[in-house]
Amino acid sequence: MLDDALHAPRGVHGRAPDPFRIDGWMPMRQFEDNEEVDFVIVGTGAGGGTLACRLAEAGFSVIGFDAGAWWRPLEEFASDETHQSKLYWTDERLCDGDNPLTLGRNNCGKAVGGSTVHFAMVSLRFRPEWFKSRSQLGYGVDWPLDWREMWHYYSEVEQALKIAGPVGYPWGPPRPRYPYRAHEINAAGWVLAKGCEAMGIGWTETPLATVSAPRRDSPSCVYRGFCVIGCSTNAKQSVLITWIPRAVKAGAEIRDLAMVGRIETDASGRATGVHYHREGKWHFQRARNVVVAGYAIETPRLLLNSANSRYPDGLANSSGLVGKNLMTQTNQGVFGTMRDEIRWYKGPPSLTLTEHWNYTDTGKDFFGGYCYMAQGPLPQTWAATQAGRGLWGEPLLREMEKYNHQAGMKIVGETLPQERNRVTLADEEDQYGLPIARVTYSLCDNDKALVKHAVDFMSQSLAAVDARDIWAEDDDTCHLNGTARMGDAPRTSVVDADCRSWDIRNLWICDGSVFPTVGGVNPSLTIQAIACRTADRIRQLAARGEL
Amino acid sequence: MPTIRQPGAVALGVAAIGIGALLLRNRNTATRRPALRDAEPPPTIKAARRLNRASGLIATSTLLDSAIEHYRGSFHNKAMITPLIASALTLVVSVHGTADKHQGAHRVRDPVYLAAAVTGLVGTGFHLYNIGKRPGGFSWQNLFYGSPLLAPAAVTLSGLLGYYSERLRDNAPAGPARVFGLRAGRALAALSSLGLLATAAEAGLLHFRGAFHDPFMYAPVTVPPIAAALLADTALGHPEPPNRLTCWWLRLTAWVGFVGAAFHIFGVHRNMGGWRNWRQNVLNGPPIPAPPSFTGLALAGLAALGLLEEHDDA
Amino acid sequence: MPDRYPGYSVLAKRDTPSWNEATRQVVDARLAIADEPHFFNPQEWQTLRAVCDRIVPQPSNRPEVPIAALVDRKLADDERDGYRTSSLPKMQQAWQQGLAALDAAANSRHGTRYHALSGMQQDSLLTAMQHGELNGPEWHGMPSATFFTERLVHDTLAAYYSHPTAWSEIGFGGPASPRGYVRMYFNRRDPWEAAEATPGREAQACKANEHVG
Repeated sequence: MLDDALHAPRGVHGRAPDPFRIDGWMPMRQFEDNEEVDFVIVGTGAGGGTLACRLAEAGFSVIGFDAGAWWRPLEEFASDETHQSKLYWTDERLCDGDNPLTLGRNNCGKAVGGSTVHFAMVSLRFRPEWFKSRSQLGYGVDWPLDWREMWHYYSEVEQALKIAGPVGYPWGPPRPRYPYRAHEINAAGWVLAKGCEAMGIGWTETPLATVSAPRRDSPSCVYRGFCVIGCSTNAKQSVLITWIPRAVKAGAEIRDLAMVGRIETDASGRATGVHYHREGKWHFQRARNVVVAGYAIETPRLLLNSANSRYPDGLANSSGLVGKNLMTQTNQGVFGTMRDEIRWYKGPPSLTLTEHWNYTDTGKDFFGGYCYMAQGPLPQTWAATQAGRGLWGEPLLREMEKYNHQAGMKIVGETLPQERNRVTLADEEDQYGLPIARVTYSLCDNDKALVKHAVDFMSQSLAAVDARDIWAEDDDTCHLNGTARMGDAPRTSVVDADCRSWDIRNLWICDGSVFPTVGGVNPSLTIQAIACRTADRIRQLAARGEL
Repeated sequence: MPTIRQPGAVALGVAAIGIGALLLRNRNTATRRPALRDAEPPPTIKAARRLNRASGLIATSTLLDSAIEHYRGSFHNKAMITPLIASALTLVVSVHGTADKHQGAHRVRDPVYLAAAVTGLVGTGFHLYNIGKRPGGFSWQNLFYGSPLLAPAAVTLSGLLGYYSERLRDNAPAGPARVFGLRAGRALAALSSLGLLATAAEAGLLHFRGAFHDPFMYAPVTVPPIAAALLADTALGHPEPPNRLTCWWLRLTAWVGFVGAAFHIFGVHRNMGGWRNWRQNVLNGPPIPAPPSFTGLALAGLAALGLLEEHDDA
Repeated sequence: MPDRYPGYSVLAKRDTPSWNEATRQVVDARLAIADEPHFFNPQEWQTLRAVCDRIVPQPSNRPEVPIAALVDRKLADDERDGYRTSSLPKMQQAWQQGLAALDAAANSRHGTRYHALSGMQQDSLLTAMQHGELNGPEWHGMPSATFFTERLVHDTLAAYYSHPTAWSEIGFGGPASPRGYVRMYFNRRDPWEAAEATPGREAQACKANEHVG
């Protein structure tokens, strides 16, 4: 059965699935619930999976919990959008605010490997100045991290994932050469490139976490174009096939289909372990440290759901900021019809991009930056995009018929942190009896000004390459960050630079929630880099007896 | 896309039949100098026949490689059939030449070889133009994935080596061996050296594209360039005789060509879907017919060494 | 609308390297869905079928895609998206309310239920729903515009474009694993992709599409 992984956990009986062998297994260490492990990590995505690996390799005892299934991409991933919704977080959330977010398949995974099982593999570094947005660029807040340190960790992640990128990157300080070469650009990618050249700005091949040449058991990408519903080639270097197998080999345990519902604290206020639901019952796992890595909705939800008499407002929330400053990134697209056949379904969806507007500060009437990248939506997604224009019936079918001549680009646009954008607990409960999340989001004027600038610019660039029937999406967003921000003081942040919460010194948060600002690039590379840094810091702190 | 197949195949067939008829017709005409019976063929003839073999091997490689690559390019320009025809004809005449002990340039082989050499130059022009006109021009992206820059040069090399062999045959058996006024053996060593360097550069470009993901991918960018250096040393080293290392290194290079093809077969096999997905993997995967062009060039280099060793004044 | 990809069907590739076993299982199951309701009651089913016919008018010269059945199955299995705008109730309830409210609007405007109206009348009601002009107690506070966009059109289109017929109609390459694509450039087509019938080249396209596989 193709959804077996959803019904019975696989990380049991001392073994873990080997994603590279059909029906293959590898040995996995297992801990008893009442064994106080060094680290329990809630969530095994870009933050949690990476951290589990690096901590296990450093010799710590680690259990990674994931509410999701442990998939076998080779046998279980179908080329079908509907079926592959099994990869997404399809448990209910409520969305409100002026601009209610689209969640689920848009930005929320539920799987061992987290959202990287379905992500589009775009692997970009932050512009260095963004780490000091307030002091250097005049908006947002400063990160308590130095870009030079992050530059080193970005290299580590790029090497670990064998990112396929251009030989020289046009923007930012020098970086080491990407380990694998960039992919062949498809026609949709060339449309963006030609558009940029017509507008006089630079462009490049997108650095992607999918291999352009064989890498051990990963074959080279076959350009099937189903990336965002799961890579059945195993070319995509998701956390599921990179950090997780490494973690297991290094002695970590991964518990799939294990929903952590509550973090327990003791009389002294320290975390003592997690309550998790697996195989029909609740269990309690003891731990010396708890790391929350559930991404920007589940992390605050868990912290809020773990409220107790000592922490009535939820854990690590003396600042009141848990759940607040939710940031997404604007993702509006501009599309047009080309005379040439484009067939944008071939290859990874975003093979080219431009970061010009991330690195240029003149000519903007807004703070922040955006990149924009080529697109290649699958039929259901494209139909939904067209429906977003208000089309249905014959007009929609006529538009859909142009599928093979479409080209377009979408932005990844920075939004500002606003406390009113937040994750709170709703009155509804999920299948575990836990209050679900309410996600409130509204764009501010700066965000809208950025979108307007981007849409104007992209429209011009399409017109410059003779696209016809150019139109722009009103509303779309991607990624989630900010709901447990890092900072240099307990009053204004939830965690410190080491991702360690101010209030509870053995409670850590290691995912996109910790971003104080979101920048104009996809967050996955930065999340993994933060996880690598956090692992190093934990090693140093442990060696000094400061854990 | 299939539209090019019928006229192309017909053209190929007619040309092959025509050439074959001409070759057979010229077998025993009195206008050509008589074959040397019973005596050991002169070194120039031996070298010429070795070059026919080298040229034929390279032509086999370019025939298959250009067929696959131009099919991948959908023969979108009708001229893309040309290197297939040129390589096929070069192969046919090379088979003939390898068996031919006669003195004197052959009336049919000679122009076919010249045409192949020119075809490769024209092809290089087309490829340069195609790469240059894409956004980014001579960027890494276009060098990796556009028309392969130095691939047509292989067609030129097979033509040049064959043309060279005809000029060798033009030399009187007892006199000095000269081609285009140069010492034949030395010049051939130089030509082979350049050919090896160009082919190593092309392999290096594509192996760089593959990120040298397998350490054996360094073989074509190390062994042939060293062979090229040794051959250059031979070319410039008059009157020094060629040394044994050069000979052995050329044999190693020849072997690398065949081993490379075997690696490429493995490379196609390990791609997603393996041989069952041959329609993608033979086109996308490492080009199986390409590495034996190193073997052809190594054989040309060995022909140069043979000529230098066997002839008093080459 | 003329057929842009005459003779092309992604199903022709079912037993080629473009489809893997997982995909065959999934698509086979989808094609086997019976055109009958498992979730909706008979009245809701009538209304739903009529709605699907308006949202996705289908040509009569090919087997009908059972869009209503696909929507119905999604609701029967309660396969939700993982979020909803807070002004909407949960998916199953939203649909039941919305279909009932649509019937009520049809009755109130034309004196008969939705499925019995003419196509123009049906479209006109949908447009009113889209513009938020339908309200009344049957909506139970659910904004008609939100229901229209986020449930009615969203789920109907998702159902249609989950079907191989829709994939073939737009010339989509369809399932692609283990075999992906080779030719990535403008105006290049792999032999297993759809051939477009540009004006004057319909016969060639048809012939090429017969060889897709």
